[in-house]
Amino acid sequence: MAEVLAGLGTGFAVALDPFNLMLVLFGCFAGTLIGALPGIGPINGVAILLPIAYSLGFPPESALILLAGIYYGAEYGGRISSILLNVPGDAGAVMTTLDGNPMARRGEAGRALSLSAVASFIGGTIAVILMSFFGSLLAAFAVEFTPADYVALMVFAFASLASLVGKSTVKTLLGALIGLMLATIGIDASTGVERYTFGIPDILAGIDFLVVVVGLFGMAELLHLVEQQVTGQLKTLPVDKSFVRFKDLAVAKWTILRSSLIGFFIGVLPGTGASVASAVAYGTEKRLCDPEGRTFGTGDIRGLAAPEAANNGAAGGAMVPMLTLGIPGSGTTAILLGALLMFNVQPGPLMFEQRPEIAWGLIASMYIGNVALLVINLPLVGLFARLLTIPQHYLTPLIAILAFVGIYSIVGNPFDLLLITGLGVFGWFLRKLDFSLAPVILGFVLGSLFENNLRRALSISGGDWGILVADYKSIMLYVLALLVVVLPIWLSRRNRSTLAVSAEE
Amino acid sequence: MADRIFAGVLLLVTLAYAFIAFTAIQAPFQYDPLGPESWPRLLSVVAIGCILGILWRPDNDSLDVARTTWFRLAAILVLLVAYAELFEPLGFIISTFLFSAVVSAMLGARPARALLFGAAAGLLGYVVCVMLLDLNLPGGFLGELEWGVSAPETQTEPSTGGTN
Repeated sequence: MAEVLAGLGTGFAVALDPFNLMLVLFGCFAGTLIGALPGIGPINGVAILLPIAYSLGFPPESALILLAGIYYGAEYGGRISSILLNVPGDAGAVMTTLDGNPMARRGEAGRALSLSAVASFIGGTIAVILMSFFGSLLAAFAVEFTPADYVALMVFAFASLASLVGKSTVKTLLGALIGLMLATIGIDASTGVERYTFGIPDILAGIDFLVVVVGLFGMAELLHLVEQQVTGQLKTLPVDKSFVRFKDLAVAKWTILRSSLIGFFIGVLPGTGASVASAVAYGTEKRLCDPEGRTFGTGDIRGLAAPEAANNGAAGGAMVPMLTLGIPGSGTTAILLGALLMFNVQPGPLMFEQRPEIAWGLIASMYIGNVALLVINLPLVGLFARLLTIPQHYLTPLIAILAFVGIYSIVGNPFDLLLITGLGVFGWFLRKLDFSLAPVILGFVLGSLFENNLRRALSISGGDWGILVADYKSIMLYVLALLVVVLPIWLSRRNRSTLAVSAEE
Repeated sequence: MADRIFAGVLLLVTLAYAFIAFTAIQAPFQYDPLGPESWPRLLSVVAIGCILGILWRPDNDSLDVARTTWFRLAAILVLLVAYAELFEPLGFIISTFLFSAVVSAMLGARPARALLFGAAAGLLGYVVCVMLLDLNLPGGFLGELEWGVSAPETQTEPSTGGTN
């Protein structure tokens, strides 16, 4: 307890530094702007802006505070296009459209937007409070992790990824494997042997993380936008003067609370982020509040509050395994993890002791960011809504320019520009074929950690594979991994058989 | 079908990857039970398994992209490659002006507006990125003309962040 308070003290000292405070505010604002753009989700926003944030030459904690602000803000901004346009910015915002858009069509856009801002604020705040306590607890526990435990943890992370993300388990797994295989390119750190470099000097140190991120999440998104391009303008619903009432909050308070907790814990699971969290929270609330299915889907405030609270709860929850274990909880936190590695900060249990200014500074900046987002969002929502009318023919070239500027400014190598374009085409094909891209980046980021721990574990045991299951912690993690794969299959079987039974009756 | 073609290509790449892992990668001497080749071998075996799974049971028949859309995608790809190739020789301002004007016109902006947008993107982008944010962008010949100093060129110092 005292430790947490001391940590928070350190953190707020970092986050309240005028320069960092300005970065939080700017990041939240820019993130909301990007999140509000139709079709661009948090992950794309962070990916496109990451190289620029890196090239600015800020100290690591400042750059991370800026990126976290953008990530957080984009989760907020996503709801605007969901509610007003019925176009979700990313998978996490799909559930918001179900009840948010009907409210706006009913002429209650203002009420829907302000309610979702409040729900997001509560979800985010609960998540960051839980994170302050759980984070250091988990870190203290994880300090004892052996390499074999880490291998088990990775297996668990990829198992939950494969089972919960994407449409097809095999494709998600293959996506992660592609990422892992990309990560083996370059010189092997422990023996100095070149792997898959084919004598090209540019990739001796491995394919640059930024190139992969911008290619898969910036350029592939751009191609997707061009493919989906609709002629004529999307019609936005007007933001009216209606506003959230205390009565609404009284009705939705348990929904918001439950969904925040659901969101946080699903976010903590490695590999699963906002999209799973918001879907589970919406489903739970629907079953609890509206079992007959009368109001959900037609503009029920609880149906809007649930996914929004869960969304932001998950955004905070996903930071926990990233900071404490070095295993990201979602695609976007995988990018943040890669950003930490670029600054030579190794996330993991020791970060809270060795670099408290970064770990706690980031957490403290999220407290501030939450408040800032609420304050920015309530009055300025009309301004953000106007962004929705930016025609795609201006948006598309802007994305390309941002991506090019960011990648070029890192080392000034024009070859990288061709590389991101090529990776963009590859990413577009993956997306078209229902592979999700988050597993690829997760595999890429975790590749060397996975391999090194496996090799270290086997060196310790002298080649005996038994070491992988020698410890209660590893066995527990393998059991969890098995559960996370088997449970959803079993549940869906059971649902199907009960459906079949009720159909027979 | 689309799934099968894509999986087939991936299979070829993975087989090549596996071939290298099983034959070429070798540490001159090593003390550890797992060398640099073990992990790629493991990955390639699992990946081949997954790919065979997709080949056996594909779930996407076609990409479902209309013909005109293919043309639009091909055009944007050509423009992106051209932008990448001209980025350094022409400098940021001119290449960005050309790229954004052409792309926005292609995607439906009126010609006059597309030109205006391109000019704004090139000039404002340069001012913001180079003068305010101090990023490293190619000036091209304009950089030398306008400010009388040689703007950041290729192969000069990497920007402040350095490489990783």
